[in-house]
Amino acid sequence: MFISKRPAGWKTFRLALCALVLVPLVSPLAFCRQTGGSPSPNGAAIFNRRCAKCHGEQGQGISAIVSIAGPNIQAVHNPGRAMMAVETGPGHMPSFVNVLSVPEIRAVSYYVTQHLAVIPLQGGNLAEGGTLFRTHCAACHRTAARGGALAFTGINAPSLANYSAPLVAGAIRWGPGPMPAFPPSVLSDEQLNSIVKYVTFVQHPPDPGGNSLGYCGPVAEGFAGWIGVLVLVIFTIWIEKGGRG
Amino acid sequence: MIRRIGRWFDSRLHLAQPAREALNHVFPDHWSFMLGEIALYSFVVLIITGSFLAMFFNGSTAHLIYHGPYRALDGVEMSAAYQSVLHLCFGVPAGLLIRQMHHWAALIFIGAIVVHVARIFFTGAFRRPREINWWIGLTLLVLALSNGYFGYSILGDLLSGAGMRIGYSMMLSIPIIGPWLAFLFFGGRVPVDVTIPRMYGLHIFVVPAAISVLLALHLGIIWRQKHTNYPGPGRTDHTITGSRIWPTYTAKSIGLFFLVFAVIAALGALVQIDPVWIYGPYDPIAILPGAQPDWYLAWVEGAMRLFPGVNIYLGPYLIPEVFFPGILFPVLFFIVLYLYPFFDKFITHDNQPHHVLRHPYEQPFQTALGCAVFMFLFVLFVAAGDDVIAVATGTSVVTIRLILRILVFVAPAVTGIIVYGLCILSRHRHARGLERALESASAEGRLISGENEVTQ
Amino acid sequence: MSEGEDREARKGAWLLMMFALGWRMVTGRSGKSRRVTSAEAAGPRDFPLPSGRDADTETQAVTSGRERWGTLLVACSLIAAIAAGIGFLFIYWTDGGNKLLGGTLALSFAGFGIALILWSHFLMAHREATEPLEPLLSPEEDRQTAADDFCAGARDVKRRSLLKLMIVAGAGVFAAMFVSLLRSFGAPIEPALYQIVWSRGQRLMTADNKPVSIHSLKPGDSVTVFPEGSIGNDHAQTVLVRVKEQFLRLPADRADWAPMGYLAYSRVCTHAGCPVGMFESQTNLLLCPCHQSTFNVLTGAEPTGGPAARPLPQLPLYADSEGLLRAGGRFSSIPGPGFWGGQQ
Repeated sequence: MFISKRPAGWKTFRLALCALVLVPLVSPLAFCRQTGGSPSPNGAAIFNRRCAKCHGEQGQGISAIVSIAGPNIQAVHNPGRAMMAVETGPGHMPSFVNVLSVPEIRAVSYYVTQHLAVIPLQGGNLAEGGTLFRTHCAACHRTAARGGALAFTGINAPSLANYSAPLVAGAIRWGPGPMPAFPPSVLSDEQLNSIVKYVTFVQHPPDPGGNSLGYCGPVAEGFAGWIGVLVLVIFTIWIEKGGRG
Repeated sequence: MIRRIGRWFDSRLHLAQPAREALNHVFPDHWSFMLGEIALYSFVVLIITGSFLAMFFNGSTAHLIYHGPYRALDGVEMSAAYQSVLHLCFGVPAGLLIRQMHHWAALIFIGAIVVHVARIFFTGAFRRPREINWWIGLTLLVLALSNGYFGYSILGDLLSGAGMRIGYSMMLSIPIIGPWLAFLFFGGRVPVDVTIPRMYGLHIFVVPAAISVLLALHLGIIWRQKHTNYPGPGRTDHTITGSRIWPTYTAKSIGLFFLVFAVIAALGALVQIDPVWIYGPYDPIAILPGAQPDWYLAWVEGAMRLFPGVNIYLGPYLIPEVFFPGILFPVLFFIVLYLYPFFDKFITHDNQPHHVLRHPYEQPFQTALGCAVFMFLFVLFVAAGDDVIAVATGTSVVTIRLILRILVFVAPAVTGIIVYGLCILSRHRHARGLERALESASAEGRLISGENEVTQ
Repeated sequence: MSEGEDREARKGAWLLMMFALGWRMVTGRSGKSRRVTSAEAAGPRDFPLPSGRDADTETQAVTSGRERWGTLLVACSLIAAIAAGIGFLFIYWTDGGNKLLGGTLALSFAGFGIALILWSHFLMAHREATEPLEPLLSPEEDRQTAADDFCAGARDVKRRSLLKLMIVAGAGVFAAMFVSLLRSFGAPIEPALYQIVWSRGQRLMTADNKPVSIHSLKPGDSVTVFPEGSIGNDHAQTVLVRVKEQFLRLPADRADWAPMGYLAYSRVCTHAGCPVGMFESQTNLLLCPCHQSTFNVLTGAEPTGGPAARPLPQLPLYADSEGLLRAGGRFSSIPGPGFWGGQQ
């Protein structure tokens, strides 16, 4: 004759309760991921094929001796403006709207603004950049530059983890979307360089303590702590139930 | 040898009989009775690591310029407290590990207390004669929560500064006495230099001492009253069944201590917690979004985020909107918890002493209520991270907040109903199982009694 | 680096082995059942303390197999613990990284813990013991005697009601003395709590101590300003924004507070005191990043979303003859989070 030590209903109840607890516990951890990506067509190749003839391989422009002279485009920081130029063809420049597909136009514009647009990226003081970043940027992008939520328009400040230094510099100057622009009157070239240096640093900070949990802060730490508690609870089950055969 | 040592002590302290009783003390075998021990041992880890940290931390807001191995802050002005934390992280051998272990131990300590309280609550272990220990335990939880807040606030980084400022605003919002209370506790209008030394004193001495005393009392009362046990054959209110303290239980318990230490050390080794060097020094002009408290206070933070912005005046006097979610809600919550044994007595009409627990499904209403409250707290906890979730999922924080404002009412209600149904179902199944067992037993002509061999 | 990885791989293998062993324990695939019935262990029904621990009552055959297994497992985990402990010492003295340091520490403790628990599972007889629970309530006569003793002792104290009264008064004074000490911790709430640093005529200065003129900002720009002479004062921090004048919808009594579309608001949130650091020019909203409250600068910083309930205090502005912006008075209300009696 078998009588369960625990009443029959206990097991169902316990299983259901476990599920109730576990599902909300584990699911939010999946959130803390960084997103980002670059346009797939090769912007550099398109630029060298289509644009370099006039603008030069570095976008420095070709001197006006030749009839097809193109201006220096190294100060174009705004991908929107670059795209507009490629599409409409201002002045002597032809329109590429029938030549290049939309992703290609985007790719070449990003190439121009990220790789050719020259804000003299040298020098800069890392620590000063950190201070400036906390003053001017961290209120939206958070101190680890992993993005922050803004209740204005539903557009969040993006994570800067995957942005190249020239793009960061350009974005500071041009102010994409709802982001304010920081003209040289607010941030000098030197200060801008410091900020870019800090952003580049904080994209891959040393993390001496181990896994950074995506720099999500106390929320992610809380979930990790609960996993620790869960592991310990499993240990207690093992302690009391294990080894009894 | 043992005998000789024993004799030495016994001749001075007359210990033989108490020692024998202690060694033979019976403690019931069930994993859920070890949850409190996880909390106890996390506290031991907190004391050990905290003592180490206290030798290095400098609870001062004096301003100085940092020069050290973390070059991203080289030459930056900061408080002496923050500087000492940076030195601890980057300049002291094993300093970072100990600091991370301390923080993880704090998270696990309170997590284990919560799980322990849940076990007590759902099994009705707070009933007579254990009301005193329920109250002491809740006081321990309150002390642990406040000490967590103090520890979080004294580091002098941007996150802790934001936390301190929000705490000050909450205290300030209490009607009538708020301003005096806030100035008494924080020593002035935050940020003010005296707060960190004061919180440091509370964090490393006053509160831990209070926790230690209450913990001793808590354990002493358990020893005196002996432990509860789950219902089952042979389990009565007049006996206690389990293993003796020596040697099995001792081995298990010390083993658990090592495992708690190991899990905390593993977290401290592998997962970075509270990277203050990323947050930067506190600057009252700077701020960061995603400034959350640690998880154990996140439910209050979440309530503050979800509570609507309403102005309430009593005559000419303002009751700030922060007061309701930030002060009134947690205070009421704990008052309800403190009074729960009376409430239970009232609804069950049962004032007898109990040593056998009741299964959660035997009290469907209480279990459903408890689960609903936990779900409510969980939604608030999620709400405290609504901006982090918004960034991670690429949605608007306004949308997420709207969803959470609905969920905070719907999710507990649904949970309560489901759990209630499950309890009723389990109760029926249990009753049927018992009936069948009785039938088969009577068919075999045997009686069920505690003497029967029990097989699982 | 490869050496470290190698070490970690080895550690991972150890960990896996431990888990495998642990799983075997949990599923109970090793060893055989040897539960001692409660009747056996409990002994006679009158529950005396056991009269000493006599030899194992189990059959030797079952025990030896389990014992051999158990000894092996305990020895393995102890060896792992000791090895990890030595590893910890080595890494600590050679200033190894946090991961290795904490990892070896964790492994060492886990090894000891697992060993102890395996020991209890395999090498200790599991006896279920039963003890009586005496009723906690003492017998009537005991309680009566205790109460009588107390009363008798109290009678021995020669009664002097005046003295008793004085004792009570003394206790009250002691309590008052101790409670009064709290005064040392407080600070007078006046004037600090009601303080508004700004006063009429003060120039608006940026954080790097430059005055702000009416040409400094374009519509849509914002800057943090302080009163002249109080740079960095957190309570006086103010956000200056410029909007297009035609959009302004300020209350009638504030019509002249915003010369050329310049608006100044306290930068301390009225909700929980965080700095309201961000201005968004397309929606003309100020945002507090702590709890995501938004304030519309065009209507006098009335809250438009989030938990804040009261507008940010506004600072009236005027431009002097040199075109520099100056405060035209104090904030429209006390800056910072709300409190009882704080709304004059």
